[in-house]
Amino acid sequence: MGKNQAVEDPNAPLVYDPQYILMVKNLKKHFPIKGGMLARTVGQVRAVDGVTFNLKRGTTMGLVGESGCGKTTTGRVILRLSGEKTDGQVLFNGQEVYDLSPKEMRALRPKMQIIFQDPFSSLSPRLPVGEIIGEAVREHNLVPKAEFNDYIDKVMDNCGLQPFHKDRYPHEFSGGQRQRICIARALALNPEFVVCDEPVSALDVSIQAQIINLLKELQEKYKLTYLFISHDLSVVEHISDTVGVMYLGNLVEYGSTEDIFRNPLHPYTKALFSAIPIPDPKAKMSRIVLEGSIPSPANPPSGCKFHTRCQYCTEKCKKEAPVQREIEPGHYVVCHQYDK
Amino acid sequence: MSDEKKNGNSNQEEQYSLNDDRRVKVLSPGAMVAKRFFRNRLAVTGMVILLVMFLFSFVGGVLSPYREDQVFYRRDYISKEYVGVTENTEYRYLKLSDEYGAVQQAMTVLAIQQENSSFDAKGKTYDVVKEGEGLYSIMDGDTAVGAAYLDIISAEDSSVTFSDEFQYNALLGLVKGGGSFTLDGEDYDVDDTGMITKGGESVAVCSRYIVQSKTSGVIISNEFREALIDHLASEEEVFTFTDANGETAEYELVYDPATKIWSVKQEVSTQVFDTYSSPSKEHWLGTDRNGMDMLTRLMYGGRISLLVGFVVVIIATVLGIILGGFAGYFGGWVDNLIMRIVDIFYCIPSTPVIIILGAAMDGMRVEPKIRIFYLMLILGVLGWPGTARMVRGQILSLREQEFMTATEACGIRVSRRVFRHLIPNVIPQLIVICTMSLGSTIITESTLSFLGLGVKFPYASWGNIINDVSNSFVLTNYWFIWIPAGVCLMLTVLAFNFVGDGLRDAFDPRMKR
Amino acid sequence: MAKNKPEGYLSGRESRRISKENRKITSELEKKRKRKNVPESEYLTKMHDPNNAVEFDNLHTYFFTDAGTVKSVDGVTFDVPIGKTVGVVGESGCGKSVTSLSLMQLLQRPQGQVVEGEIRLNLGDKAVNVAKMPDKELQHLRGNFMSMIFQEPMTSLNPVFRIGDQVDEVISLHDGEGKSEAEVKARTIEMLELVGIANSEGVYKMYPHELSGGMRQRVMIAMALACNPRIIIADEPTTALDVTIQAQVLDLLRGLKDKINSSIMFITHDLGVIAEMADYVVVMYAGRIVEKGTAEDIFYHPAHPYTIGLMASKPVVGKQVDKLYSIPGKVPNPINMPNYCYFKDRCEMCVKQCNGVYPCEISLSKTHKVSCYRYADEAGRREWEKSTEFIPDSEKGKGGNA
Repeated sequence: MGKNQAVEDPNAPLVYDPQYILMVKNLKKHFPIKGGMLARTVGQVRAVDGVTFNLKRGTTMGLVGESGCGKTTTGRVILRLSGEKTDGQVLFNGQEVYDLSPKEMRALRPKMQIIFQDPFSSLSPRLPVGEIIGEAVREHNLVPKAEFNDYIDKVMDNCGLQPFHKDRYPHEFSGGQRQRICIARALALNPEFVVCDEPVSALDVSIQAQIINLLKELQEKYKLTYLFISHDLSVVEHISDTVGVMYLGNLVEYGSTEDIFRNPLHPYTKALFSAIPIPDPKAKMSRIVLEGSIPSPANPPSGCKFHTRCQYCTEKCKKEAPVQREIEPGHYVVCHQYDK
Repeated sequence: MSDEKKNGNSNQEEQYSLNDDRRVKVLSPGAMVAKRFFRNRLAVTGMVILLVMFLFSFVGGVLSPYREDQVFYRRDYISKEYVGVTENTEYRYLKLSDEYGAVQQAMTVLAIQQENSSFDAKGKTYDVVKEGEGLYSIMDGDTAVGAAYLDIISAEDSSVTFSDEFQYNALLGLVKGGGSFTLDGEDYDVDDTGMITKGGESVAVCSRYIVQSKTSGVIISNEFREALIDHLASEEEVFTFTDANGETAEYELVYDPATKIWSVKQEVSTQVFDTYSSPSKEHWLGTDRNGMDMLTRLMYGGRISLLVGFVVVIIATVLGIILGGFAGYFGGWVDNLIMRIVDIFYCIPSTPVIIILGAAMDGMRVEPKIRIFYLMLILGVLGWPGTARMVRGQILSLREQEFMTATEACGIRVSRRVFRHLIPNVIPQLIVICTMSLGSTIITESTLSFLGLGVKFPYASWGNIINDVSNSFVLTNYWFIWIPAGVCLMLTVLAFNFVGDGLRDAFDPRMKR
Repeated sequence: MAKNKPEGYLSGRESRRISKENRKITSELEKKRKRKNVPESEYLTKMHDPNNAVEFDNLHTYFFTDAGTVKSVDGVTFDVPIGKTVGVVGESGCGKSVTSLSLMQLLQRPQGQVVEGEIRLNLGDKAVNVAKMPDKELQHLRGNFMSMIFQEPMTSLNPVFRIGDQVDEVISLHDGEGKSEAEVKARTIEMLELVGIANSEGVYKMYPHELSGGMRQRVMIAMALACNPRIIIADEPTTALDVTIQAQVLDLLRGLKDKINSSIMFITHDLGVIAEMADYVVVMYAGRIVEKGTAEDIFYHPAHPYTIGLMASKPVVGKQVDKLYSIPGKVPNPINMPNYCYFKDRCEMCVKQCNGVYPCEISLSKTHKVSCYRYADEAGRREWEKSTEFIPDSEKGKGGNA
């Protein structure tokens, strides 16, 4: 099997490779916990604690993990939506995102967009849909004024919305349609990269399929790159080219979808996959049931963060944090089992 | 699996009549709020009350035939002291010769009291001769040097003064029961009633009684005087007199034994302020302490009370939105600073402060009209912290919502984010809090006006209308002064609270039914 | 299309008319319900099959809203046999939760009303029609004979009381007659252990916020089981949980199924969960049952186009498809539904008869019932039987990967 080597020094500066639209290295985001008398920082929530991956242009990377594992924060930190990062590098088209001035950042915004999980809170309740979609287009002068209306109509049509929806308010729409509005808002800015933060989790099954198909269609049409964050493995498998599995702020396994699903290496990935319910009443599952629940990211376990729930836990796991290793070409895992 | 399901489909949406867009009609957002509001009976009642109050205050004032500060009068009879009558019991002295000085006068009194017929003074002996009742002549030999008398001569024409000699002769004539004398070539007759005439024309009158006018500008005619003096003897309390023009007036006589004065009082009709008049056709709610129409005052008072309420709330809200918005949106030290200011404002005991400021304005004699503006300003500036705190809280929670992250991700300007996305979402709560605070502001204003620190006379406000009830007599007897204003105040504040509650429930989607 | 916009909103007059009608209907129903001393005969009934714990018989639950009458449950008939698990699947707004709330009689009144039909609850020696029972009697049933596990374990526990106190309360309220405090506590500990809480003594003294979502859901299950109810309604009990935690809870529930003799009515939108849990499956769509049968019937021989579409639109791990099948359109809001097959407009398998009135229930086998015109004649049924023959194999292939 592959090189099975530890990846080089995490602090070395990233070298831009034009095939990657996004390069993330050792990204960390810690949120301070304020407490005590004078709101001093008494601890840190290590929401994202060293995430490294590269994302090829025009592909989709799935990011899976359970709630609280930091996948949503990762998405936002990449877009510079959570204030300043704690550590690491984020190269978007070769440009370090966190080096930009606020003005430059604003100019870059249209290129990188986000679609949210909750279609109810992600739309301004007091703006009509047309305004929600078109507002940013006008702000950035993306289209001439005369073409503005036609442009919005076209974007809405692309997302399966009808022109008369423009004057309505978000609360009049069902979840699926709201998600279409969110997609239209992101798409209207003609982005290159879209973070999809659990875009279908809040939707009904039949609507989920519609939205997934819509996202795929749009990707083909506009050559979009997605970072698809979800806890639903089946959806991730369907939509992604590469998959990253996160646990407690760390990317524990990362590789092509085929590799990951055919040959999951990390014990957590294995457990996660076996936990998916299968719509077959007779299927007998050899389910790996993980004991306990995710530890708090404010106080993560020492060594390998997964050791508290891992069935292969050794003494080494408890003491020493494993490093990322490439087991197969393009298939990385962070686990002591593969320290050979 | 069946083949059909492989037929993927992309052009959805178009062809179904089951599509909710066409089949299901919904209430528009405004209609939804309106419906929820109108379902709330109390809120609707409040709304109606407010509407009536507004019409009453703003339209009523225009329709009312009276002005706010128009004073009404009525004619009233008051018992006015007309003249005072005193019986003279002290001897007075006439100085017929220079040698009759203070010593002799003192000796005279002594002699009269001891009924001596003579006294010695300064080495001379004077005889005291009783000429008659109330008149003694002091003789130095045969020459009268002075006289002591009780009856007082008052001239018909008050500008005329009589010489002592004239008086002496006249008194002599009087005590002798009539007679005549000649002085300075003029002949005078004196009759036994004390009337002194010159050629049939009366010049003066002698009387033991002093009649003095108590009202300026009243000249007491001799006829009246005589009639009055005659009447005194009868000891009747009512005295009727018909003067030369044939007008008959009735007087009341009151004797005060301590001062030995009869006061003669007359019922005089005068124009007075029409105070505390009961409700009538002209004044539906009567008049107040100043004789102003109560209903009109109530209308104008409502106008001021409501106006003060609105202006104060607008000032407080504008300040609250700006400061709360800044605190909420920027957070960090801005938030900290503004919130500490809010805390400080919460610590200020507003009632004493307002009382002090009110007193200061009293001291500076601020014009009532300017005073109202100051009042609005003060209340507004003291009122913003609550609004600011609410706005900040709302914005803090809204800021964390995903749609705000979305605006950031879209690169939308900060000002636009605040004014297009944040503020509109705070407006429902703002409307509710404004409505609620309108009621309390009106109460505060009324309290201040009641204490005499807010709106001042001649401007009316419901508070200072109630202030008219300064004693229990008014409280118990003139219900029409304070009950209508109190009821107006109570209804308005209650109505504002009902409407505020109703709006809150209507705006709150959780109340969706 | 622009002309549709004003049509989308109710006019003031229409809205007033709706409100007036709603008031009339609801006040009448409420009056009936608020009567005092309802004779027992009015709600006593007989089970059609004594082996059933609950029988829903032509249940109609309507919500009288401002936008019109929402027929959330419109003629639902199914049985929950004793000791079995019945899964109710459907998308949001299909009426699956309203069905369970109708059973518990926890509908938001006065808007929500059971206007027709019976819900027969087997109490062992007698059977009652829950829909007609007065509130006082219902109070006795809830907890003792039926209990509910809610979706949100975060909000369904009271944050200010200790876990032990909350479970104790349930036990002493319903089952605790003559029990001492220690006995109640012992029972609570026993229940906590039953639901797989190892540190039961410790958890007894904890507050809800000290527990993770999965643990809270376990506590909720313990509370639901505490009084040995005849039927447990699990309303999306794992939806809010993470996959690994969901797996734990499902394992627990499956284990409990064999230990207790309660029936479970398991409501979910997740077909995978249903397949693991249920013996019988009821598929609901827009307030009606479109298909029902045993789990095998539904998963291996789905008949209704909606069921088929639902299964196809969910991507399955290990089975790559180029493009997901998606049911077009959206879930209808059940207001003013036309009287033809509700799924017709989203259906790609329509036949001629579909333009007719709403199809009645057609039996495909003893247990398998479907409401679809495709199976109204022999030919359609034969065709379907042919097409489903190979399904079990493909399903087996699907399940093998884990």
